[in-house]
Amino acid sequence: MGEYKALNGAVLKGDINTATAEMQKAIDADKNVQDIIDNGLIAAMDEVGERFSKGLLFVPQMLRAAKTMQECMKLIEPLLQKGDVTPKGKVLIGTVRGDLHDIGKNLVSMMMESAGFMITDLGVDVPPEKFVQKAQEVEPDIVAMSALLSTTMPAMPQTIEALGKAGLRAKVKVMIGGAPVTENYAHEIRADAYASDAGSAVSKAKKLLGIS
Amino acid sequence: MKSLNIPTFLPRLKVLNREQALAIHQAALEILEKTGFKMEHPDAHQMLVDAGGKVTNDGRLTLPAYLVEEALKTTPKQIALYDQKGNKTMPLVDGNPFYGTGSDATFTLDLETGQRRRAVLKDVANFARLVDNLENISFAMSMANPDDVPVEDIYVYVFAEMIKNINKPIVFIADSGRDIAKIYEIACLVAGGEEEFQKKPFMLNYSEAISPLRFPQNVMEKLIFCARKKIPICLPSGSNAGGGAPITIAGAMALGIAENLVGLAVHQLTNKGAPFLFGPNVSTLDMKSTVVSYGCPEWSLSQAALADMRDEMYGLPTWAYAGASDAKVMDAQAGAEAMFSIITAMLSRSNLIHDVGFLEYGNTSSLEMVTMANELVAMSRFFTEGIPVNEGTLALDVIERVATGGPGSIFLTDDHTFDYFREAQFLPQLLDRSRYDSWKEAGAMDLYTVCNTEAKRILSEHQVEPKTDEVLNEVDRILKGR
Repeated sequence: MGEYKALNGAVLKGDINTATAEMQKAIDADKNVQDIIDNGLIAAMDEVGERFSKGLLFVPQMLRAAKTMQECMKLIEPLLQKGDVTPKGKVLIGTVRGDLHDIGKNLVSMMMESAGFMITDLGVDVPPEKFVQKAQEVEPDIVAMSALLSTTMPAMPQTIEALGKAGLRAKVKVMIGGAPVTENYAHEIRADAYASDAGSAVSKAKKLLGIS
Repeated sequence: MKSLNIPTFLPRLKVLNREQALAIHQAALEILEKTGFKMEHPDAHQMLVDAGGKVTNDGRLTLPAYLVEEALKTTPKQIALYDQKGNKTMPLVDGNPFYGTGSDATFTLDLETGQRRRAVLKDVANFARLVDNLENISFAMSMANPDDVPVEDIYVYVFAEMIKNINKPIVFIADSGRDIAKIYEIACLVAGGEEEFQKKPFMLNYSEAISPLRFPQNVMEKLIFCARKKIPICLPSGSNAGGGAPITIAGAMALGIAENLVGLAVHQLTNKGAPFLFGPNVSTLDMKSTVVSYGCPEWSLSQAALADMRDEMYGLPTWAYAGASDAKVMDAQAGAEAMFSIITAMLSRSNLIHDVGFLEYGNTSSLEMVTMANELVAMSRFFTEGIPVNEGTLALDVIERVATGGPGSIFLTDDHTFDYFREAQFLPQLLDRSRYDSWKEAGAMDLYTVCNTEAKRILSEHQVEPKTDEVLNEVDRILKGR
């Protein structure tokens, strides 16, 4: 990691100008692309995650670091061959039918994305059939659902049922979350995991897929 | 000394000057004129367009300032809430503060085990009965999102449960135009008819738009229903700093006020003069946990600012919060945070103050917290009533009597002390001032234990004056689906 000290530090601080400049330097020096990503960017993001979970970083600092990493990735993307980078997993996410609240869901999306997951965000008020249709299309590892209103929670088991009818239930893990949602409710409707906040959504997702 | 007739100064917190208040109001108007909002209720959309609103290229609506100013003019400057027996117990006007509980907590602290558990309908009953008894808690909200009722009619069930267990005013939640009609039907039964209800409304609806600047169909259904039926309503949105709104309080307030003004415009266009309780909820999103904080100073500050704006320009009674905490148990943090918001809300002269008794950023309710808050409100009220200065309270004759009275002459034995001590002193009922030995002998109880014991006592002794069988049977008929 020592080789990319300046890049690591800039990502950690969310200093986009310095980070992209360092990134360009590494690219110009013909470093291995996968090596830049792994040791320059992901190593820094791992440190960000570590510091956040210890309460040493605040959410805006973490999101800024993620944004910094994304800006760096933009420089390297034209150089990537298909298959050079494999995502940790594919996640299909949305706020369930009848519910228009998306702050929590968006936060989960961003945190998962910065942890290396590939996200397909269906937005809000997503009916079960739309979850199913998109799941058939993108073949996600995880379907994640959010609800803020207790009155919209029943759309969660309905979506799970729809996934079942479409023969997809065994192929995906289902995660749920949102203010009125509980661990017990997740058991009740046979979801695979419940996460109480965005940070734990990431670690639960990793656990579901058996990755660290 | 000549006879004194000095008005008592009532301590009042002020956090904005006039320039700041005007600038936030102007910013709110600018949001509506330039940024606009998403109105998803077709009739409300049309109503605003007919009144002068403009549709932008991407389907948003913008409003000219005059439309909003007009709505502010036609809104009544006071709302009188009655109890369910027809007494005017909550005149929401000027700086009259009234405290009450909150709604929709997923969990509650069990009174017997002290453990956090999923809330059930029985909890709604317990909180309502407790509030019915507590002197300084003036209205009830459900405090629970019960696990054991059909979710599609959850708000009808909790409302019916409150009707059975309290006679004080109720602040209620509904999902849409469908269940609010059922709730209204129950309310009219209790009042003895629609006309009687509208003359002496005993309930107020709490609905929420979605920040930033989104007005869903079901929320507008409720707003229009309330305007037509003259059910008082408030329409805060989740314009919490850093969440639905900018991280800075000024911007979050401007956004929340803009959203309130949209609701107010639709409301007054539907029925001029219908009662509307003003005010956004502007708390803050915690930047570590991402919870909306219920113990932060920001929320108290923003509602103090809103009270200033009320006095500077709006003149409308305000919606506020207090007596809640982010603590998971009723500990020192819970006490500190509860008291901070209770006394500042009272010093700010906020009008309708909800969420009393919440722990865990509104996720857990606690009967003990409500019981404690009852005392903290009394303590704050004592402070905000100020210091009456007159012949009787200056007591120059008493001073002379005791000072010149010779050995054994003390104030404690003077008649003046006997005559005045009840009004001159705050007399705590739960807060402990006993000497160490007697405290230890009485069981060495901390405040949580004292409040737990007191809540249990009230729930076992307090009888709520029941509704007639006729009303109760009709309520059950409505619950069972007609």
